[in-house]
Amino acid sequence: MIIECKDLIKSYPVETTMVHAVNAVNLSVNKGDFLVILGHSGSGKTTLLSLIGGLTSPDRGQVYIDGVENWQQSDQALSTMRNSKIGFIFQFASLIPTLSVMENILLPLSFGRNPSGSRELALDILAQIGLADKANAFPSQLSGGQQRRVAIARSFINCPDIILADEPTGDLDEETEKDILALFRRYNEQGTTFVVVTHNSDLAATQKGARVFSMRQGVLSAQGA
Amino acid sequence: MAQSNLEKQLNILDYALSSLWRHRLKSLSVLLVFAAVIFLLASFQMVTQALSDKAKQVLTHTPEITLQKMSAGRQEAIPLAYRDKLAGIFGIRRVVPRIWGYYFDEVRLANSTVMGMAVDEMPEGNRLDAALAKGAMPGPDEQGRVVVGHSITKALDLAGRTTFSLFRPDLSLKPFEVSGEFSRDTDILTNDLIVMNLADARDLFSIPAGLVTDLCVYVANPKEIDTIAKKISETLPSVRVLTRPQIQKTYQVVFGWRSGFGSICLLSALAAFVILAWDKASGLSPEERREIAILKVLGWETSDILAVRFWESVIVSGLACLVGMTAAYIHVVYCAAALFRPVLMGWSVLRPDLHLLPRMAVGDILLIFAFTVIPYLAATVIPAWRSATVPADSALGG
Repeated sequence: MIIECKDLIKSYPVETTMVHAVNAVNLSVNKGDFLVILGHSGSGKTTLLSLIGGLTSPDRGQVYIDGVENWQQSDQALSTMRNSKIGFIFQFASLIPTLSVMENILLPLSFGRNPSGSRELALDILAQIGLADKANAFPSQLSGGQQRRVAIARSFINCPDIILADEPTGDLDEETEKDILALFRRYNEQGTTFVVVTHNSDLAATQKGARVFSMRQGVLSAQGA
Repeated sequence: MAQSNLEKQLNILDYALSSLWRHRLKSLSVLLVFAAVIFLLASFQMVTQALSDKAKQVLTHTPEITLQKMSAGRQEAIPLAYRDKLAGIFGIRRVVPRIWGYYFDEVRLANSTVMGMAVDEMPEGNRLDAALAKGAMPGPDEQGRVVVGHSITKALDLAGRTTFSLFRPDLSLKPFEVSGEFSRDTDILTNDLIVMNLADARDLFSIPAGLVTDLCVYVANPKEIDTIAKKISETLPSVRVLTRPQIQKTYQVVFGWRSGFGSICLLSALAAFVILAWDKASGLSPEERREIAILKVLGWETSDILAVRFWESVIVSGLACLVGMTAAYIHVVYCAAALFRPVLMGWSVLRPDLHLLPRMAVGDILLIFAFTVIPYLAATVIPAWRSATVPADSALGG
């Protein structure tokens, strides 16, 4: 099992009460799974991704990645895990505006392991998402959809075991969306595990063999494959 | 592992450098302001040290003990006959009369220092010959011959001439001929000085025979200055006894006070800069928060983000220190500390055109480093530690 969540609870204060963004979630994900979690805005999808990725700590419960509990690790080990095992695709493009496309993509490699050929890999991924000619452009010179694609390319640069994607096709036109989903499929066939949260129910239909869940008021429930 | 860690640190340094380059306008502004503050502090320190050194060096020509007669707390002429009263004090090598006064030139609105000396009576080695750039000191029989400081030549506009005249108190003119000029190295004390023999000074100021302004006492053993000074005080109670160490101390105090006053002003400027840096570093913009969050999501540790801020601050403050200190050196050596001369230097209208040799001890460099770089590092890295604890998931939301 590559991801395991046990009785996860995360609450946030809203005015005078505590709201359960994630409420008693149990989830097991095997290597190579493709999970789609559907839900409306505010249903707790993004919080669940943050908990899985070790970006925020749960109030109760545990998250295991490859059998290691996230919050039992040191800051260094958790950071290393995020860097080497997980690729994040944010809800918004989240590029550093003062870095070029290539520098943004190579950013996760700035940790002492800068394998030779990483630039070529970045160019290859850029070609797959149709932005081969934008390597030296800056985010401000790209459209919203193009920025999203660069963020997606960045998530793949470390060849992570897990991709956590938050509304990955939100800003994309239909054609680009197809290309991105095809890219996801290719990586998934090679063994990369995907956890995709979206409100787009069509996305689940395009991914053959995807495990589909729905989330409502912090509660996760399986919809079947 | 060690190599990997080194590579990681190099990558962090590379990121810090590129971050500074990406925000080059902001980085350059901070660097320039910081360098300016360090420049002012270092200049002040250098010029103070240089002036103190110079004064110390030049004061070696002054007599070991100077006597002045006091009446009602004010100085008045001292009788030459007092020399006889000092004859019985063991250890006194020689007592030389001197007339020391100021000549105000109403045309140029400048004060000159006039010194009448019995040069032939002064002991060998104290005759100021070493302080001359050219010519010789006027002898007792060389009427109307003077040695002048650099600014006098300029102020009197002597150019090629060697003669000039000064007014006596009755407004009659007394002619002089320049027989020598003081070395520029002694500018701090001789810049506005006119030296003549005792008879000429007496004539210029109309001082009656048998009176002078000071008696210069030269002692056989410099270690006995204080003892002899005490004996003189006991013998001549109405006389003010000034020893050379006291005069040196006075100069040090004058420069020290001025330097201290200036330093307080400059340290206030530095404090304001550091507070500004702290304020800037602790108030993160949304873009900066987002960048930190993205870096954390991508696997940067809190310590990595701190390291980036640390390297950025080290580079900015180190460069500012280098630029500031180099500029200070140039300012003091090549521009004669033009910015601080009115604050640090004398009371004469004729400002000495000094060639200062700045002295900067390792201790001074460390002091300036400690007062500038370390507060800046603290002011930027400590808030960065707070900013590095930004929750990483803040980048995931909108």
